[in-house]
Amino acid sequence: MSATTTKVSFFRERIFPILFMFIVTVVFITAVSGVYLSTQGTIKLNETLFLKRAILFAANIPVPQGGAAIEKVYQLRIKEVKDSSGAPKYYEVMDANGTELSGYVVYGSGPGLWGTIQAVIGFDKGLEKLTGVDFIKQDETPGLGARITEDWFRAQFRGKSGPFSMVREGEQSTTHQFDAITGATITSTAVRDIVNKTEQNVKSIISN
Amino acid sequence: MAKGKTKKVFLSDIGKDNPVFVQILGICSALAVTNVLKNTVVMGLGVMFTTAMSSFTVSLLRKIIPGRVRMMVETLIIAAYVIVVDIVLRAFVPDIERQLGPYVGLIITNCIIMGRAEAFALSNSPGLSLVDGLASGIGYSYVLLTIAFFRELLGSGTIWGYNVLGSGWTNWSIMVMAPGAFFMLAIFIWVVKGLVLKVEDDAAVKTPVQTPAKEATA
Repeated sequence: MSATTTKVSFFRERIFPILFMFIVTVVFITAVSGVYLSTQGTIKLNETLFLKRAILFAANIPVPQGGAAIEKVYQLRIKEVKDSSGAPKYYEVMDANGTELSGYVVYGSGPGLWGTIQAVIGFDKGLEKLTGVDFIKQDETPGLGARITEDWFRAQFRGKSGPFSMVREGEQSTTHQFDAITGATITSTAVRDIVNKTEQNVKSIISN
Repeated sequence: MAKGKTKKVFLSDIGKDNPVFVQILGICSALAVTNVLKNTVVMGLGVMFTTAMSSFTVSLLRKIIPGRVRMMVETLIIAAYVIVVDIVLRAFVPDIERQLGPYVGLIITNCIIMGRAEAFALSNSPGLSLVDGLASGIGYSYVLLTIAFFRELLGSGTIWGYNVLGSGWTNWSIMVMAPGAFFMLAIFIWVVKGLVLKVEDDAAVKTPVQTPAKEATA
C-alpha cells in the first residue's frame, strides 16, 4: 500500500514537473518562433530602409516619405561599392539624373558613452566638404547624447570641412566648428573624433 | 458580488496598492525610461500588455503548474510575452524600439509582473487576474508618465518633443540624467503619501479595526 503511494508521489513530484516544464517550453517557444517568423520580413525591411534613409541624409539628398519612394531615390542616386566579401564598403552618390558622380558616403565609427557609435558620413566629389552626417547605431542617453540623432545636429555638418572643433550649443559656428550638445560632452567629443578620423581616412577608403 | 470584486481589484492596484509608489516595485525601469515622454508611453503599453497577459496565462495554468517549478514556468511565460512585445515594436515602430534599446527586454525583470503572477494570478480566476495585471500595468504607467512629464519639461523644455518653454529656458540637464529620476520619484511618492494616502490612513484610524491591540503586540 505504502509502496504505491510513494510511486505516485514519485511521479507527481519528480517526473511530472520535468515533463510539464518541457511541454510548456516547447509550446511557448513554438508560439514565439511563429511570431518571429511572421514579422521577420518586416523587420529586415525596416533595417535596410533605416540604413538607406541614413545614407541619403548623409549625401544631402532629400529623404522622401514612404518605403517605396525611398527605395526609388536610393536606386537612382546611390551606387554601392562592395569589398571582396560582398559587403558594401562605401557608397558613390550620383547627381539628380543618376549619371554623374557627385560625392561619396563612407562609414565611420568610434566609442561613445555607452557603446560604439556608427555613422555614415557624406563627402562632396572633391572630398573637400561634408554633405552630411547620420548615425546608424548609437546607445547614448535618451534626451542627452541621443540628441545627436536630431535633424539640426546631423544637418549642421553640411558644407563644412574639418578638422572640427566644438562650440557650445546654440552658438554660431564657423566652417570648422559644430554645436556640441549641452550635458553630453562625451558624446559630442566622440562625434567630433569620429568625423575627424573619417575625414582623414576618406581618401584611402575610397582609393582602395 | 463578482463585479464589485473586479472593481476593487482594479482600483486597489491603481491607488492604495499601487506597484510603484506603495510597493516600490519596478523602480529600475521607472528611473531608466522616464526622461522622454514618448519612450515612457511605449514602455507603459509594453508593461500593461505583459502584466495582463502573463497574469492571465499563469492563472489559466495555475491548477496544473507543479509547485516546484512554478517560478520557472512564470518566468518562461513572462519572457515569451516580452519577446513578442519586442518583436512587434521592432516591426511596427522601429524608431522607438531603437531608442528604448535594452529596456524592452528588461521588462522581464520588472518585479511587478512576477509579483502579480505570484501574489495574485496563482490563486485567482483568469478573468480577475487579467484585470489585476492590467490594473497593475496602468498603475505603473501613470506614475511613470507623471514623472516623465516633469523630467522632459524641465530637462529638455519640451513635451512629446514639442518645445513648450521657449528658447529662454535653460534645460536642467540633471533631470534627464539618473539623479533627476530619483528626485522626481521621491517627490512623487512624498506628495502622494502626504496628501492622498494620508487621508485614507486617517479614515482607517477613525473607524476602529477589529483586531485587538493586545494580540498585535504579542
